[in-house]
Amino acid sequence: MSVTDERVADFLEGPQRRNRREIVSPEGVPLAVEIATYGERATAFMLDFLFFMLATFFLVLVGAAIAVSLSGGSFYVAMAVVLLVALLVRVFYFINFELIWQGATPGKRIVGLRVIDRRGGPLRSSQVIARNLTRELEMFMPLGMLLSFSGGKTAAWEQLALGLWALLFTCLPFVNRDRMRGGDLIAGTIVVSAPRRALLGDLVDATLRHVFTEKQLRAYGAFELQILEELLRRPLSRDTGRIWSEVADKIISKIAWPSPVAARDVERFLRDFYTAERAFLEREQLFGKPRADKHAEEKAVS
Amino acid sequence: MRVFETSLADQATVAAQTAAAQPARQVVALKSSEFRKGREKSWTELETLIGRIDQSGIRSLSGDELERLPLLYRAALSSLSVARSIALDRNLRLYLENLSFRAFLAVYGPRESMFESIGEFLLRGFPRAVRKVGWHLLVAFLALAVGVVAGYALTVSEEAWFNAFVPGGLAEGRGPSSTRDELLHDEIFAPWPGFAKSFALFASFLFSHNTMVGIFCFALGIAGGVPTLLLLVYQGLVLGSFIALHANRGLTVEILGWLSIHGVTEILAILLCGAAGLVVAERILFPERRSRLESIAAGGQGAAPIAIGAMLLFLVAGILEGGFRQLVANTDMRFAIGGFTGLLWFSYFVFCAREPRR
Repeated sequence: MSVTDERVADFLEGPQRRNRREIVSPEGVPLAVEIATYGERATAFMLDFLFFMLATFFLVLVGAAIAVSLSGGSFYVAMAVVLLVALLVRVFYFINFELIWQGATPGKRIVGLRVIDRRGGPLRSSQVIARNLTRELEMFMPLGMLLSFSGGKTAAWEQLALGLWALLFTCLPFVNRDRMRGGDLIAGTIVVSAPRRALLGDLVDATLRHVFTEKQLRAYGAFELQILEELLRRPLSRDTGRIWSEVADKIISKIAWPSPVAARDVERFLRDFYTAERAFLEREQLFGKPRADKHAEEKAVS
Repeated sequence: MRVFETSLADQATVAAQTAAAQPARQVVALKSSEFRKGREKSWTELETLIGRIDQSGIRSLSGDELERLPLLYRAALSSLSVARSIALDRNLRLYLENLSFRAFLAVYGPRESMFESIGEFLLRGFPRAVRKVGWHLLVAFLALAVGVVAGYALTVSEEAWFNAFVPGGLAEGRGPSSTRDELLHDEIFAPWPGFAKSFALFASFLFSHNTMVGIFCFALGIAGGVPTLLLLVYQGLVLGSFIALHANRGLTVEILGWLSIHGVTEILAILLCGAAGLVVAERILFPERRSRLESIAAGGQGAAPIAIGAMLLFLVAGILEGGFRQLVANTDMRFAIGGFTGLLWFSYFVFCAREPRR
């Protein structure tokens, strides 16, 4: 993303803006990706948790029935079966889906998240295996032991260490910019948000009814142009109409537009101005004189 | 001159603007709009393909479409580069960036199935990762060996040490007061507890004491490696002291046989965990030119497969312990099984998927 793109995004999205990171595709083209937020990660995990617990539950119903009939109803055996089945379902659930759905599990898919290689290379299956088996090591095993050994078989220091271990890894995504958990760190992956963006119509009109001079067009730069684009793309409403006439008034006074613009002509005027401004700025950019914003001139002088 | 020209032009247009009776008209052609019109079709085609991959998987594409995918992807990337340099249409640039990224995911996603990748890990990833650690494994082994020797030497001469080394939960009533017969019949040649108990013993391998020790050995690598070594020494003490208790009652051979059946696998697993922990420790203590976080990540890529594979070894040990230990009530046979598993692991780690000699 260019500096202007960053500024526009900051201006439009404000404090809710996502963390971004640039990866370079194997073809050498930089692509900006949006790091998934904690909320999205947590939601996706909760959904996945629900799904594999349901799967475990049904498998355990079958498995426990067999085990109980073999053992004559031992609780110990039933527990052992549950734990083993839960482990297998969990591990295979995550690995299988991240492999067949290009880095998404059902939960991630619903939320719109993907696992990708941190440096922009292809996502290898060994990375998928590593990041998911590490989850066992960082979270489920210590918690499982903590719960299963509360009967005094573990010493207090061991319980403390297990708890600290789990806590440490829970905190890890909060202390690095790319929000990686232990498994991501080890496998060299990040979790990003991959929403679907639509291509909207071109705002450019071939024929202009308002004609602007170069001096008038020099009043603004790429930053203002893209904010104007965003405003023009807003759905029609009374609010939008009010903002449009405010913006049109500002432009009129800034460029000293001689004649007043009637209320019904405001959209027409703004679109013409957008087209003329974009044609002007794109041409300047092509000639190696990009104008970042309305202060570009003063900076060039000083 | 130029200033003059512009002001002249200004006057002309201002005149035109004020004479609003006949509105001025101007026809403009934007390079970016032309560019968009020319390429839009291929973007839409790519978007449709990606949509189908997202919906029903990459296998739903026909052969022709599979061939088109990388071409369209590269075309989208080049469109993106062009748009970045000539277009100021924000929506267009964001769209192309998003399209390229989604195509990138489809083109560079993993291609293997789960079983293929797990097979790959077992046949190549794991043994290769183990071969890469050298002195780490040796140091882990030495730490354990020191513990065994010390534990044995101390307990042989003074059995009170046994209570100091072996925690109550692990001793399960065994101790200096145990007689030879108790140890022989209730432990070494105890009757097979039946399928249910054996299976439970196997299935709870994850939560067994030794698995936990293994995980700690790996995890404590983060604390710089010294705790890993201490834990290994301590495990050695427990083991040595255990052997000494039996040796004092003339059961040396029997206890070694009893331990070997699953111990070979289990001790190997603990050593591997320790070695993995030491790899992480090395990366933390000596990050060299990288930042510590990057260094841990790099070390983790070498260490994690070992720790994960070691969990598999614990699983195998669980099967041996639960299924065979009490079923094979013969010391010679036990040694044979123990030796056989040892040989198996040795050849697996040394010969499996050897890197071609250069």
